Amino acid sequence: MNQSFEYKSTILKVDNVSLKLGDNQILRDCSVEIKDVFRPGHTTGQIIGFLAPSGMGKTKFFECLSGIRKPDTGTVLIGENLEPTKIGRVGVVQQSYPLFMHRTVLGNMEIAARNLPKSERDDRINDILKRFGISDRKGHYPAMLSGGQKQRAAVAQQILCSNNFLLMDEPFSGLDINMIHEVSSLIKEVAHMHELNTIIIVSHDISATAAISDTIWMMGRDRDEKGNIIPGAKIKYKYNLMEMGLAWRSDIELRSEFNDLKNEIKSKFPTL
Amino acid sequence: MKKILTSFTSGFHPKGFMDAITPNKSVSPQIMSVIIFIWIIFAGTLWINNTSEVFPLPGEIWTSFKKLVNEGGLIGEMWTSMKLCLHAVIHTIIISLIICYATVIPVFRPIGFLVTKFRFLTLVGLSFVFTIMTADGYSLKVSLLTFGMTVFFVTEMLRVIEDIKKDEYSHARTLGMAEWGVVWEVVILSRLDKVFDVIRANFAIAWMMLTLVEGLSRADGGVGTMLINQNKHLNLDAVFAIQFLILFVGITMDYAFLVLKRVACPYSHLTTGGRL
Repeated sequence: MNQSFEYKSTILKVDNVSLKLGDNQILRDCSVEIKDVFRPGHTTGQIIGFLAPSGMGKTKFFECLSGIRKPDTGTVLIGENLEPTKIGRVGVVQQSYPLFMHRTVLGNMEIAARNLPKSERDDRINDILKRFGISDRKGHYPAMLSGGQKQRAAVAQQILCSNNFLLMDEPFSGLDINMIHEVSSLIKEVAHMHELNTIIIVSHDISATAAISDTIWMMGRDRDEKGNIIPGAKIKYKYNLMEMGLAWRSDIELRSEFNDLKNEIKSKFPTL
Repeated sequence: MKKILTSFTSGFHPKGFMDAITPNKSVSPQIMSVIIFIWIIFAGTLWINNTSEVFPLPGEIWTSFKKLVNEGGLIGEMWTSMKLCLHAVIHTIIISLIICYATVIPVFRPIGFLVTKFRFLTLVGLSFVFTIMTADGYSLKVSLLTFGMTVFFVTEMLRVIEDIKKDEYSHARTLGMAEWGVVWEVVILSRLDKVFDVIRANFAIAWMMLTLVEGLSRADGGVGTMLINQNKHLNLDAVFAIQFLILFVGITMDYAFLVLKRVACPYSHLTTGGRL
């Protein structure tokens, strides 16, 4: 597989984001950046695996990225022009793959695409439903869909209204091995639909996340000289799987370097 | 025909009858039909053979029913009561939904809270106040029924709104909806099927309160007035005939609301297994 790539412009920049809720310092000086990755002959989106122990503040960080929550300090800029994030520009697929249960699949897509010009709305909806293989389920209500179809519909809905950015909260949680494989394929498919597509996956599943990511962020808290935890989580470790030669490989799980990486990540968890 | 018969008889597995008397088991619709049939025969036998003077025999009730229909204008009185009840239901739905939906704005929440606490007031105690406030007997009855239903409607509907998960609001927001859009989509549209459930429950409450309210102002008639008159003269067979009619109409109306819910919210039964 061709591993040559180059970085283009920065498309997400998180700069010194801090958040305090009541007396609790949740996030502290979080800074991170994503660049558009270009691979000759490929349409390559970005997939970032975001790992952290429970209760670290991943959800709050997600809320800051998506514009649902305004950080106390710092900025989140997105897109080629690096504009401040705002609600609706970043899609968020929650763990439960939510859809409006009172709307059909088509109705769910229409509400997501309501801000598009009418002339292109129907074409975009039809195109995305076709790409996701659920165009024959247009008239179905979410309760009539299989688990996989529901996931596809939920992702399609978020893609329709967001500008290339998608945050996925625990997409592998509670899934069996076949479904994990299916969701992994879906994430890769969505990411590589467009050069600027960027998917950030929050997960506890190190193996499944690392296998499809090109970058891994690990969130944790610093400690003082005495070993006491300093309140407020930040991005403590970053792994660039592209530079390690571990990105975009279908045989990645068979490679010894991949197992070494997993073990290294696992060993760092207790220190986070 | 043979096919239908075969499909019906296939539900009678001997194990199914054992399941019928085992805790936490389910039985086929065919066996459930048999169970219901047995209960009807059992209740009917008890009723026919009862020696108590309190319970009239089915034949006596039927004779009385025919007499009430032919000579007492029972059907007309039932129509009067139904109109009253539906009138009050419409008022209740409008008032209650305005109060409930207004509670999405914090400044209106105390009003919703206060209305729920009015459940503990008695209608009889309020009848004097409502008599002064209303123009005639009909308005008095509509007002009392509306009040009686609204306090329960608001209580149940507020619980429905409170039970909406934070994720549902977040989901709507991630689609770029403004807060009023979130209210429309998540609080109003997505819970429309629950409104029908609350209407069904409250129609039953109104139907139960009907006799009490009609008794407060008897000028317009209605089955409640009729029931009170028959009670006064100890015509138990007539009382039971009216009660059965009230029960029948109540169940029919309940079913009508259910059908309406399924037509308006076809998605509603998909997650409940279609149970009534």
